[in-house]
Amino acid sequence: MNPEVYAFGLLAIPLLSAAIIACCLRRNGAAASGLSVGAAALILATALHIIFRVDYIDFNTPWFEMGPLSLGFGFLVNDLAKMMLFVVAFVGFLVHVFSLGYMKDDVNKARFFGGLSIFMFSMLGLVLSRSLVTLFIFWELVGFSSYMLIGFYLNKPSAAAAAKKAFIVNRVGDFGFLIGIIMIFWTFGTVDLVELKTHFDHHPEAFAVPGLTAMALFLFCGTLGKSGQLPLHVWLPDAMEGPTPVSALIHAATMVAAGIFLLCRTGFMMTVDALQVIAWVGVVTALFAGFTAIAQRDIKKILAYSTVSQLGYMVAGFGFGSIVALNSQGGGHEHMGQAVVTGGVAAAMFHLTTHAFFKALLFLGSGSIIHACHHEQDIFKMGGLSKKMPITFVTFTIATLALTGFPLLAGFFSKDAILAVALQASPLAFYLLVLGAFLTAFYMIRLWGITFFGEPKSDNADHAKENGLVMTVPLILLAVLAVLGGYKGIYMGMFSEVLDGLPHPTSGEHTTILIFSLLAVIAGYVLSIFFYKLGAKDDKLENTVPALHSVLSKKFYFDEAYNFYVAKIQQRVASGLHFAEQLALSGLIIRGLAGVTGLIGIGLRALHVGSIHAYVYWFVGGLALFYAFASGLF
Amino acid sequence: MNDHASLVQFSIAIPLVAAFLTMFVKGWGRPAIQIVSVTGFAIPAILALILWGVYSPETAGGYAFVSDMETGLSVIGVSLHLGLNGVALPLFVMAAIVGLAAGLYAAQSNAENLHRYLACLLIMQGGLMGVFASIDVFFFYFFHELALIPTFIMIGVWGGRDRSYAAMKMTIYLTLGAMLSLIGLIAIYVKSGANSFDLITLKAALAEQPLAESVQNYAFGLLLFGFGILVSLWPLHTWAPLGYGAAPSSASMLHAGVLKKFGLYGFVQVAVPLLPDGVAQWENWIVWLALGNVLIVGFIAMAQRDLKQLIGYSSVMHMGYAFLGIAAMSVLGVGGVVLMMVAHGLTVALLFMLATMIHHRTHTFEMEEMGGLAQKAPVLSAFFVCAMMASIGLPGPGLANFWGELSIFLAVYEFNPSLIFAVVAGIVISAIYGLRSIAAVFFGKESDDFLEVQKEHAVVDMGWHERVPALILIITLFFIGFFPKTVTTGINDALKSEAVYSQTAAATPAHDHEH
Repeated sequence: MNPEVYAFGLLAIPLLSAAIIACCLRRNGAAASGLSVGAAALILATALHIIFRVDYIDFNTPWFEMGPLSLGFGFLVNDLAKMMLFVVAFVGFLVHVFSLGYMKDDVNKARFFGGLSIFMFSMLGLVLSRSLVTLFIFWELVGFSSYMLIGFYLNKPSAAAAAKKAFIVNRVGDFGFLIGIIMIFWTFGTVDLVELKTHFDHHPEAFAVPGLTAMALFLFCGTLGKSGQLPLHVWLPDAMEGPTPVSALIHAATMVAAGIFLLCRTGFMMTVDALQVIAWVGVVTALFAGFTAIAQRDIKKILAYSTVSQLGYMVAGFGFGSIVALNSQGGGHEHMGQAVVTGGVAAAMFHLTTHAFFKALLFLGSGSIIHACHHEQDIFKMGGLSKKMPITFVTFTIATLALTGFPLLAGFFSKDAILAVALQASPLAFYLLVLGAFLTAFYMIRLWGITFFGEPKSDNADHAKENGLVMTVPLILLAVLAVLGGYKGIYMGMFSEVLDGLPHPTSGEHTTILIFSLLAVIAGYVLSIFFYKLGAKDDKLENTVPALHSVLSKKFYFDEAYNFYVAKIQQRVASGLHFAEQLALSGLIIRGLAGVTGLIGIGLRALHVGSIHAYVYWFVGGLALFYAFASGLF
Repeated sequence: MNDHASLVQFSIAIPLVAAFLTMFVKGWGRPAIQIVSVTGFAIPAILALILWGVYSPETAGGYAFVSDMETGLSVIGVSLHLGLNGVALPLFVMAAIVGLAAGLYAAQSNAENLHRYLACLLIMQGGLMGVFASIDVFFFYFFHELALIPTFIMIGVWGGRDRSYAAMKMTIYLTLGAMLSLIGLIAIYVKSGANSFDLITLKAALAEQPLAESVQNYAFGLLLFGFGILVSLWPLHTWAPLGYGAAPSSASMLHAGVLKKFGLYGFVQVAVPLLPDGVAQWENWIVWLALGNVLIVGFIAMAQRDLKQLIGYSSVMHMGYAFLGIAAMSVLGVGGVVLMMVAHGLTVALLFMLATMIHHRTHTFEMEEMGGLAQKAPVLSAFFVCAMMASIGLPGPGLANFWGELSIFLAVYEFNPSLIFAVVAGIVISAIYGLRSIAAVFFGKESDDFLEVQKEHAVVDMGWHERVPALILIITLFFIGFFPKTVTTGINDALKSEAVYSQTAAATPAHDHEH
């Protein structure tokens, strides 16, 4: 069989599942969930087949043609896409299974699973896409499925608002992304990634094209939106209004990582200037979100800010890694195509993969807790869950350690890879990212200690019980990967094109990284436990340093600023224009221009009379003047 | 004569015959009227699909299915010259599909004097089919008027709030727009000296002997403002939201969806090819006014509280893209406009129909008095979300709209890169008002007013009688989106045969290595 058949299959399976659910199974939640989970299993099987048995898929068929524009529908499956495919298919399947338990009693189960299938379709399309335009199409579609799933609880106004916000903020990012695509088309005559890559490999002078930095940064706008980088991060914490499995799959492991994937796909055309900007946006985001996470009370919001922070790490890793790769080429752009693929891409994708495992685990664990506590999400109303929910406790603990970079767990290796490239590119960034690692350890241990230890602080927490196998088995599987995911060996050389590029710091650098990252992690653990105490009843930071706490818990007032803009500026401009139109366009300009001709008196009378004839004359007169003015008679 | 030419004639004549029957045959009950009128809509749709199927790209550039009929006006060079080229065909099909959906929906409405209502709609349909099938400019105009007059009657008689004011204002604006464009067309006829209204003859004559620049200048100016009013170019658009808000839904569907495209079609097929120098003269005006459509009207749409007005403004906003595509004067831009006209026609018709279905349940168009409808009517909400997403160009349901917009954006960048920010900002603006309307109508809690309404009228979800017309539109949208070549091949061929539309290929260094 032609290899592209499998790629088409990957798209057809979830699409069929969604279509059947939408058409026939809307009232049959059990069948819908079965179908959707079955589809996810088939996707995983097909994906594994592609990863192990198919070397490379390069397929293209004409799709849309208009004038000089000729776009294909095609697939490009290299090791980069395979790695992403593995994450999407694997985490996707586990989240589907987990949802069987989590959504068991929801009357709208069919809609939920239908939405998950649409999401899988869109996400797989995004990963397989060969051209920037098809990537953009699926990119918008994942945004749409995320919108539908965030707004899943229809009668919650906050969910509706969060869904809308997510979509609109993402559209702001897509605004830049689309402009980038348009510029690339007119500069290079194609938006096909294979053709672009070949062009850059064969024509080093392509890096001298004016505006290339701008193009790269416009593409990066897409990442700002989708991967929640400053200043477009505001939608991601709100997106936690969606059901928790959705948060795990879409808003932690896969869709939000699509921005990183986009950078890696287009890395071959990034300039050093663009990379500097990208890398520093990542660093600032990582720190900002780390600080914000410290003062949140909602378990999912803490994890959401943690996700934003880790995405910042990936973006920084991509940026610095690519800069290092370019510098090792002597600072020039010659023959750098492959170099970029091995530099930043490796660091970013490695962290993306391990992060997908432990962050999905954290979210599913929090889902397990929320489910057991009857939808209580405030960590200060939990407590003492370590004894009541042993499996959740153990897996959550593993994930917490992995995320914070505890030695020899997955996050330890991937975070060190990012620190390594940062150290080589910019010592300042290195120290800032170490500070970020400290923050991660600090807020995660706060969350962990308060949730699992001490006395239960609400009836809901008191009555919590461990969930059934359908929810705990995915936790256990993910926990295994959170432990082992950092060892390149377990990937059996599958993604070697990407992973071979992991940085090889000198032994001196290696020692520096090890010492600083260990110090940061241990300091984070110790300070957090010392400061908050295990099982605390209230937020000590709030009591001791209220000013700092209030800035952090208000998330540096980003939402306030945006709300101010929307309510006080955008809406007022809209209403003002509307009013002006009602008044001016139908009243003053058309009639008023006529008035200039000296018919004011008659005009007033005619207006007063309000007869249709007068109106006609006014209108004709005004328009004649407008026309005369326009054609330059005055 | 061409093999299938008679099908074109039938698709114009059958709605008119059906209109005559429903109007004048006495003693028919409601079912008979419904059957006759739906047949009057269905047959043109079937014929249009057949024509779409048999249309072969080799005949493109020129026209296919051509017929020429003597009208007794040959003294002034008028004959009923019908035919379809690659630009006309997709619009002809779109008109037929939208007409079928509107007709199916209207036939079940509880309008008073249903037979007259349907007769008006059928006359509109006949006119619409004629507009896109006319090669003769006189008949092109005539069919437009034929479709326009029933619109006024329908608003005045069956309209909603403010119907007499809306009908009056709309009549004044549109009649004036039509008159200006008529003067412009007559000017071309007179000055060309070809003594013919036939588009093909005119093109040939003017290709040989172009009009003087000053003539082109004022003739295009007349057409710009004439067509501009009809297409709701800013600031001449104020009739549109008002008129659509007051019009009965089927009339809004046909007017906003199809009839409004007359002006754009006039630019693409008549004004721009015949008056290229005039376009160059007026280019900046088109661009600036069109930016008014995208940005100013886009913002105004955000301030709307009435669902139908919102759809009206969004439709006006999208016309800005169309004008920008035309200003770009390239195959890419104008082709994008044609594609967008088709997609927009289907989408906006769908939106107006769904808005009326919402009204049947909430008894209001005020969005603040709705809310929470998704729980009561999930199928309706799915359709509406789909339609709104199509309208804001989300690839998927709106893949066809996306192709149109993408082509236009690309063409605008080629035309003038600095415009790109203002134009692409439209995708954010439309997302804001589109999603707001979805949230206000379907999500959240039910408003008190809506709860009050529900005490007397229990909300039922969309039935099949409502789903079928909506599905006709949605399936067509999906089809064109996923198989764009079924439409674009013809558009490309037709536009490439026009010398005025530039075809500059993108700088293609990326292909160098292959040589």
